[in-house]
Amino acid sequence: MAAPIGTAMDSLSAALKSKIIPNQEYFLQGSILDSAVEVLLHRLRGLCDNVDTGPETFHDHEMCFSIRRGPPPELPLFLRVRRALDYPDMPWQLRYIGQPELGDKSQPTVVRSSLDIATSNTVVEFLTELGCRLDFEYIIRGYMFRKGRMKVTVSKIFKMNQGKLPDGMEPMSQSYLVELSVLAPSGQNAIAEDIRIFAEQLKPLVQLEKINYIR
Amino acid sequence: MQREEKQLDSALEAIIMRVNDLKSTIAAMIFKVEHEYETLNWPNFLDNFALISGHLTSLSKILSHDKAPNLRNLTVLPLHLSPEKDEELLRMTEGRISTFAHDLVPDYLRTKPDPLVEQKMLTYETKVASLTYDASHKQVAQYNKVINHVWDIANKAREEWESETSSRATQAQTSNSADTHLLVYAVGNGKGLKSDTVQMVQGVGNSIGSNMMVGRAGGQSQTSSQGPLAGQMTKAPSTIKTNIKAASQIHPYTR
Amino acid sequence: MGTGSLGRTWPAKNKWQIPGGYENGENINSQSLPIPNQKNGGQRTVHVLHNSEQPASVFAILEYGNKVVPLIADRLFDLVILKMTNVCTDKKQTKIECKGPRFELVDFCIKLGSVTMTQNFKGVLVEIEYRPSVVPANCWELIREFVQGFLGSAVSSQIPQYLQNRMNEIYQPMDTIHQYLEHFGQYRKSTGVI
Repeated sequence: MAAPIGTAMDSLSAALKSKIIPNQEYFLQGSILDSAVEVLLHRLRGLCDNVDTGPETFHDHEMCFSIRRGPPPELPLFLRVRRALDYPDMPWQLRYIGQPELGDKSQPTVVRSSLDIATSNTVVEFLTELGCRLDFEYIIRGYMFRKGRMKVTVSKIFKMNQGKLPDGMEPMSQSYLVELSVLAPSGQNAIAEDIRIFAEQLKPLVQLEKINYIR
Repeated sequence: MQREEKQLDSALEAIIMRVNDLKSTIAAMIFKVEHEYETLNWPNFLDNFALISGHLTSLSKILSHDKAPNLRNLTVLPLHLSPEKDEELLRMTEGRISTFAHDLVPDYLRTKPDPLVEQKMLTYETKVASLTYDASHKQVAQYNKVINHVWDIANKAREEWESETSSRATQAQTSNSADTHLLVYAVGNGKGLKSDTVQMVQGVGNSIGSNMMVGRAGGQSQTSSQGPLAGQMTKAPSTIKTNIKAASQIHPYTR
Repeated sequence: MGTGSLGRTWPAKNKWQIPGGYENGENINSQSLPIPNQKNGGQRTVHVLHNSEQPASVFAILEYGNKVVPLIADRLFDLVILKMTNVCTDKKQTKIECKGPRFELVDFCIKLGSVTMTQNFKGVLVEIEYRPSVVPANCWELIREFVQGFLGSAVSSQIPQYLQNRMNEIYQPMDTIHQYLEHFGQYRKSTGVI
């Protein structure tokens, strides 16, 4: 009859080899004061792809888990779970993020490996029972723009309250976090250059740069 | 002998070239001052001086070269002086000198300094000779003081200008780098987001993940309808034994 | 859709030339069982399953004590599980595959899978799916009658245990996976491998 069907793992490893799985994230980060965020949004609305209904907003809750892989010299594995608070029925997002690499001056952006997986809403219980523990969490709320393959987000981070008032979230700092990122298969450095060029257009409003957040 | 002559010739040629360059530069500068004085500004004018100094430097390089003949040992003697017009001389000097006469010689072939200059030099030399060691020291010190004073004034002026420009920039500041770091570290590492509502004993000797983290007893999700599941969140470092007080952590995230 | 997965052995092959039915494609239900990990006391087992009926999804079931947590995710989840396998200490991974032809007969979909556990043949699983209905209670009788028509007394008239409490709920692909997992578990137990 038909040709023998390979196993699921076969097709996955084939996909990995041919470098079509986007497993690297190239990104730059910066921030902008609350007072100037309107200007930035205007500029982004002009620079980015057109959306009829205005910039897309999002209101998410992100939780960061970690699980030990071995004795102390080994770094734990970090996993993030993100859910949309404004669309509770959408799938949740599980994200594996590796260590960021800043590289040298010739590398325009930070690169880290990243895998995005959509999951059902049982993922937190799953991870917890597996042995992951919750490191920290936050609420993030803002606007998202697209330009070609690039994603630009302007968002505010909120600290979560200890339960009493769900609306009593406390914003972190008087600034919005601005991020430029592209998810691509490994080995596509031309994309990083595109990001840098776009970042130039947002100066001097926002200084987007490579920031190493590893302690 | 012949070699020396050849050396002399080549050296002279090089020197003449440089001097011509210098001459043209000065001519250009004069031209500029005379014709473009309306549009001239100080930086442009300074460029001329830079050019001239460049030419002078190359000239002095040639003169100090090893192979350059010692021009001090040579003298220029006029062999033939006549008050008649000389066409060739006129041509060579671009119309400036028409006769090689006696009144030219003291000006162009002078080796000693001008008489006025010479007199001044003499008075200076007598002054210097009469100066004692201490007096000269004092004079040098005073000179230094004056120079330093001028230097300070110039520096202060520059600082003022710079701070003026930067203060203008701060008015338009739209991003705060401290905030940037705060936000990036919060999103990347959880700095500033980890809470310690539940007391847990810290694992010793483990820099990464030594803080026991807490499940929020927070009802963020109004959408969760069922009772929350009690997820036991305990940390288990494989090589370290710690006393973990497992608090009751309510997991608000259910189906 | 109601599905019952029934019986483990089946009679001669000839019976499967169903008049009116047509054969298309194959079906794989492969599963690898990572490692039971023994942290904080208690055994945790994660089962990862793929079903060719839902080619873009990965099903994962975590068993911890008597708690069962199901998860459905994108294909890339396999990569994450791979990264996490260092977490687990034991190296006992077993793969079970259920592979075979798939027939469609009007509203029914019949899958015959021969079960192999790491190259050893274990048995045969038959999966019957009644496509128009999504509530098991509405079509259980119909399925039972259909199957008993060609499998005869090998099929019990009792509702399978997994479905007993879920007869009036909407059936999901995850339920199919749970049923397969149950049968795979029995195969594993029969060979002494947990």
